[in-house]
Amino acid sequence: MGPLLNVKQAYEARSGKNKKFMISLLKTIILAVFAICFMLPLLWMFSSSLKGPTEVFGYPMKWIPKTIRWSNYVKVWTDPDIPFLRLYYNSLFIVIFSIIGCLLTSSLAGYAFAKMDFAGKDILFMLLLATMMIPSQVTIIPRFMLFKMIGLYNTHWALILPSWFSVTAIFLLRQTYHSLPNELIDAAVIDGCSHRIIWLRVLLPLTKPALVSLMVLQFISGWNEYLSAIVFLLDKSLYTVSQGVQYYYASEAQEFNFTMAAATSAVIPIIILFISAQKYFIEGIASSGMKE
Amino acid sequence: MKRLKYKDTKDAYLFLAPSLVIFITLVIFPILFSLVLSFTKWNFLSGFSGIQFVGLENFKRMTSDRYFKQAIINTFIYALTVVPLSILLALILAYVMNTAVFFKKTLRLCFFIPYISSTVALAAVFKYLFREINGPINLFLANVIRMQSLPQWFTDDRLNKIPIITLLIWTSIGYELIIYMASLSNISHSLYEAADIDGASGATKFLKITIPLISPTTFYLVIVRMIATFKLFTAVSIMTMGTSARANTTMVVRIYGDAFGAYKFGYASAEAWVLFVIILGITLIQFWGQRKWVHY
Repeated sequence: MGPLLNVKQAYEARSGKNKKFMISLLKTIILAVFAICFMLPLLWMFSSSLKGPTEVFGYPMKWIPKTIRWSNYVKVWTDPDIPFLRLYYNSLFIVIFSIIGCLLTSSLAGYAFAKMDFAGKDILFMLLLATMMIPSQVTIIPRFMLFKMIGLYNTHWALILPSWFSVTAIFLLRQTYHSLPNELIDAAVIDGCSHRIIWLRVLLPLTKPALVSLMVLQFISGWNEYLSAIVFLLDKSLYTVSQGVQYYYASEAQEFNFTMAAATSAVIPIIILFISAQKYFIEGIASSGMKE
Repeated sequence: MKRLKYKDTKDAYLFLAPSLVIFITLVIFPILFSLVLSFTKWNFLSGFSGIQFVGLENFKRMTSDRYFKQAIINTFIYALTVVPLSILLALILAYVMNTAVFFKKTLRLCFFIPYISSTVALAAVFKYLFREINGPINLFLANVIRMQSLPQWFTDDRLNKIPIITLLIWTSIGYELIIYMASLSNISHSLYEAADIDGASGATKFLKITIPLISPTTFYLVIVRMIATFKLFTAVSIMTMGTSARANTTMVVRIYGDAFGAYKFGYASAEAWVLFVIILGITLIQFWGQRKWVHY
């Protein structure tokens, strides 16, 4: 009886394992089919970016064009009117200065809210949170007038400066500083350090993961920003990548292959960034909301 | 060790100064100014001397503004289709992905890419995909499904919101999926094991354990995605370009057009405040309604 039971148990265990494996495989296949459907529009975009002007809507549709035209990218990147090379430079300029400013101001504010006692703390924090409800469309008209008056209209700073105040970033960093033990501060105070030194030397280095998450979030929202770009940037030489895609898309010439080469150029850096920093992306997004 | 009350006030405001300078000049001042503007009639091109106080005139005019009313209706249609559909799909995907599957990270990547990609680029792609003559979707319907009369995605009034809704669902699932996956992984396995002992089926477990336990997450997503959809601009602005645009626009597209196309700053400010009141109202209603279905 004994050995027989063991054999039976072993058989059942194995068939159970097999069954589990098959279920996992089946689920993976179903999800993979979904995932491929999800990717199809982007694959179509890439495929069209390598086609001739009449091939994009040619019949029958081909996923791989007969002649692969990398020259579309050369055209889009070196166009005399709005070369993507310069659009990339513009977008990177905006994104980099937005990130530096936002991380700096929000780190300072987050530290103050988490680790300092001061008059008006709770009221101020509530006020910041309350303004989150107000859509930026309410503020964009006065901002436009303000920037016109002080000469920031039609400069990249009109897009950079507003990002230096971010409730989301302050909130996220406040949480991060909150989670750091007060003993660190008390020990530094005994050593005679001021808050400035404590923040810069002791606590700031410990918030690196949160800062990287914010950096990544700020990068995507800055890179993809469209409304404030079309409101504040007039000269073609200042255009961002999003405006560049819109320019090809709306042009009279209707060169679909160039539009798709522009679109692909706009999407690729984000995908590369995501793949190389997937962990920080997921953490950042799971801990805060973003994008319009 | 008892701390002195407010001992850091001076230092704290130094720390807060950079944020507060931007907050006051680029948030508080614009909010107040825009509130004032909403009671004026002002074409920006006429300069500051052209500002006229008109009281509630702008708000009265809005009630007979056919296009703005249509934009409000459209915005509601987008919010009430995109938010529930994308959240439901994301939940199902997250539920399956959180069980044993292979290549979890690669799959997650595929669902996530549309969310982080440039909306302008994706909207242009979708406009082409749905193109009526020889667009890939209509080619597929004609040659694979053998459909006789092809849908006119942009000219048919009954269909012309579908491309926009599809695009919006496609781009928002990634975010919702990530949030749901994080929340689902927090549910204790012992609950499912207990249900197994009681002989509960998969569907029962999903409906009676999973759904109630993640209801706070669902609530959060509904709020966040509703607000985001009410502020919708880029996707609609790109996709309605060059078509019977007005029929499909959203409130923000109208506000943008009135402000920076027609330079009617007073009227556009009033429209923006109506948008704010609607967002506030919807958020409050949801907070009130959550008692009925959210379990903490």
